[in-house]
Amino acid sequence: MATTVASEYSNEVKNTPIEHQFNPYSDNGGTILGIAGEDFAVLAGDTRHTTDYSINSRYEPKVFDCGDNILISANGFAADGNALVKRFQNSLKWYHFDHNDKKLSMRSAARNIQHLLYGKRFFPYYVHTIIAGLDEEGKGAVYSFDPVGSYEREQCRAGGAAASLIMPFLDNQVNFKNQYEPDSHGTKRKHVKFLTVEEVVQLVRDAFSSATERHIHVGDGVEILIVTKEGVRKEFFELKRD
Amino acid sequence: MNHDPLQWGRPSDEHYGTYNKSIASASPYPSMHTQQPIVTGTSVISMKYKDGVIIAADRLGSYGSLLRFSDVERLFPVGRNTVVGISGDISDMQHLENLLDEMQTENNYDNEYAEDEEALKPSYVFEYLANVMYNRRSKMNPLWNALIVAGLEDGKPFLKYVNLLGVTYSAPSLATGFGAHLALPLLRKIVDSESDVKKTSAEDAEKSIKEAMKVLFYRDARSSRNYSIAIVDSKKGLVLNKDAVVEDMVWGFAKDIKGYGTQNV
Amino acid sequence: MTSIGTGYDLSNSVFSPDGRNFQVEYAVKAAENGATSVGMKFKDGIVLAVEKLVTSKLLVPGKNKKIQTIDRHVGCAYSGLMPDGRHLVNRGREEASSFKKTYATPIPLPALADRLGQYVQAHTLYNSVRPFGITAIVGGVDDDGAHLYMLEPSGTYWGYKGAATGKGRQSAKAELEKVISNKPELDAREAVKEAARIIYLAHEDNKEKDFELEMSWCSISETNGLHKAVPKDLLDEAIAFAKAENGDDSDSDDSSDESENEKDNEKKDAEGDVQLE
Repeated sequence: MATTVASEYSNEVKNTPIEHQFNPYSDNGGTILGIAGEDFAVLAGDTRHTTDYSINSRYEPKVFDCGDNILISANGFAADGNALVKRFQNSLKWYHFDHNDKKLSMRSAARNIQHLLYGKRFFPYYVHTIIAGLDEEGKGAVYSFDPVGSYEREQCRAGGAAASLIMPFLDNQVNFKNQYEPDSHGTKRKHVKFLTVEEVVQLVRDAFSSATERHIHVGDGVEILIVTKEGVRKEFFELKRD
Repeated sequence: MNHDPLQWGRPSDEHYGTYNKSIASASPYPSMHTQQPIVTGTSVISMKYKDGVIIAADRLGSYGSLLRFSDVERLFPVGRNTVVGISGDISDMQHLENLLDEMQTENNYDNEYAEDEEALKPSYVFEYLANVMYNRRSKMNPLWNALIVAGLEDGKPFLKYVNLLGVTYSAPSLATGFGAHLALPLLRKIVDSESDVKKTSAEDAEKSIKEAMKVLFYRDARSSRNYSIAIVDSKKGLVLNKDAVVEDMVWGFAKDIKGYGTQNV
Repeated sequence: MTSIGTGYDLSNSVFSPDGRNFQVEYAVKAAENGATSVGMKFKDGIVLAVEKLVTSKLLVPGKNKKIQTIDRHVGCAYSGLMPDGRHLVNRGREEASSFKKTYATPIPLPALADRLGQYVQAHTLYNSVRPFGITAIVGGVDDDGAHLYMLEPSGTYWGYKGAATGKGRQSAKAELEKVISNKPELDAREAVKEAARIIYLAHEDNKEKDFELEMSWCSISETNGLHKAVPKDLLDEAIAFAKAENGDDSDSDDSSDESENEKDNEKKDAEGDVQLE
């Protein structure tokens, strides 16, 4: 059992072997955010890349346009994130080869990603994954995944380092949670309506600049990818670099 | 079950007799993977400038706190426009060196264009190394290194980092290990963003790399005065200087040095 | 063919009563029927040259390289069954790579020739395999300077100053002997030209077929000890030299079957084939 022996420095020294094990994971910070609109969807991520208290890069994009109007981002352990995105892109390529260039629907993309993630159930990809695009009816769609592949379609979702800072803000501003009609004394909930692209982009910028203020692993810049039936558009805004 | 950690899962001897290992040609020991680096090389530092990249690493191989090997090359040219700088475990570094050498040999097989269109580019070299690093970490048997691939690709500077976890990133200035804390802030004064790169001359870049190597020699206990510095320039090509030395150091007493600490001059 | 019908020619690893291994001898035939390959040693390196018969007008000129690189300092040309040659080269690459991994130095040519020799010899021992249908010329530069070896289907290999194999080997060998005794101190560029001339000369006996000349070299002075293709300008110069020396002003490309430009000292037999002296 854990006994101790006296060392010449009089400190107690454990004589049970200390086991060192290689830790295959790290946290590379950053945060991501996906919002579905009526006929569009956005997926945004900050461009800061960190380990511990170091900023590795101020511009390392982590939201990707995979084609077929599908955006993906896997936030957390960056090596796993990149590996997952690459595997999904490859899977999409083979879907096209095997099925005569058929467009991959969001529903199928989401199920495919579940298999990629669950396939490593016992050595997981340490990432929070979000995909965004348009569903079969042309409506904005966002799917989010946990590290081992359980997933859900949502109206909006924040992931990564500042998810817990951004998510309540989103609940309030996208789904109007805790918002009531004026003069109803908190009895009539504010009616939910779709936001416009302009409103959503402004919301995303506010979310990221606020997260940048409060979270050290978020900052430098935010890259917003926007899917509409016209295709994918990219916008970039500077964030504080401190 | 035999509860000896080296015999886990085997039936105990008193019940079934000694297990005949030759049956499964099993090793008497569990397979073991790298748990820690042994002989190590310290920081690699690098930065882009308008016509290329500069990368530097000292020549020391440390065995813990013992300055064990004093003339280890840690910058490896690959083809004519790539340099790989490696820090961390030296034996793993030499394994990577073999892989790079093999890659170059294989690129020459049956390839008429090995020196032109199909020459190895920095991004190819990087992608290969990043995959090697990530695959090894995924087997829980990492190569205990952090590497920087520097070079010129299609006339533009290329700089990217990968480490034992397979984590990759790119920036106008990069450093591994201690350098990320001591040297990088100095390099970022010159190139913090891509727009700064276009304004930076080779002379300014070389000056700040040399200054950063000096700071590292001052402050990193596992560093050496001798170092290698490589420049990949769009006009001058790849130049590797293997006998650079930290110069213009000041080792006077702190109280006599102006601008150092509190003074009432 | 005394061997036919005796049964002793049907399998590897079986001697005939008079001590021959017919499968190996047939493999030699396969090599001897192949297009000519020549290797030549000079002061500080080696040159390899092959006659590449143009089997179709649809083939792209200058492509489909026959000479291969085994390691950065070693080249290989062979006559006979091309896939057998490619397999041998792959084995050579594995040997060179493992040697370098083990000893941190490029494989010396004698060591490589020996390992390839053993590999080829092993293919004469078992029923499950057939011998290599090639004769390979392996050359390069190592710490001891230039080396040139020729490796036969039996696994035999000898070091040479000049080596030739394939259809035109007789005349090529005769010419190599002359060149080596007359000009023992050839430099790289002279050697390239001579090798080109010898391939053109050896092709004289096979004139009705179009061919392309392919050459590589490995020299301390010219290629820094690396095995490389002979550069275009030097190759063109060598071809011009070869044509001039052989008194042939026609381009190999237009020496088609019906051309009337046979040399006056050539005699045709009843079927129109050129009679060899």
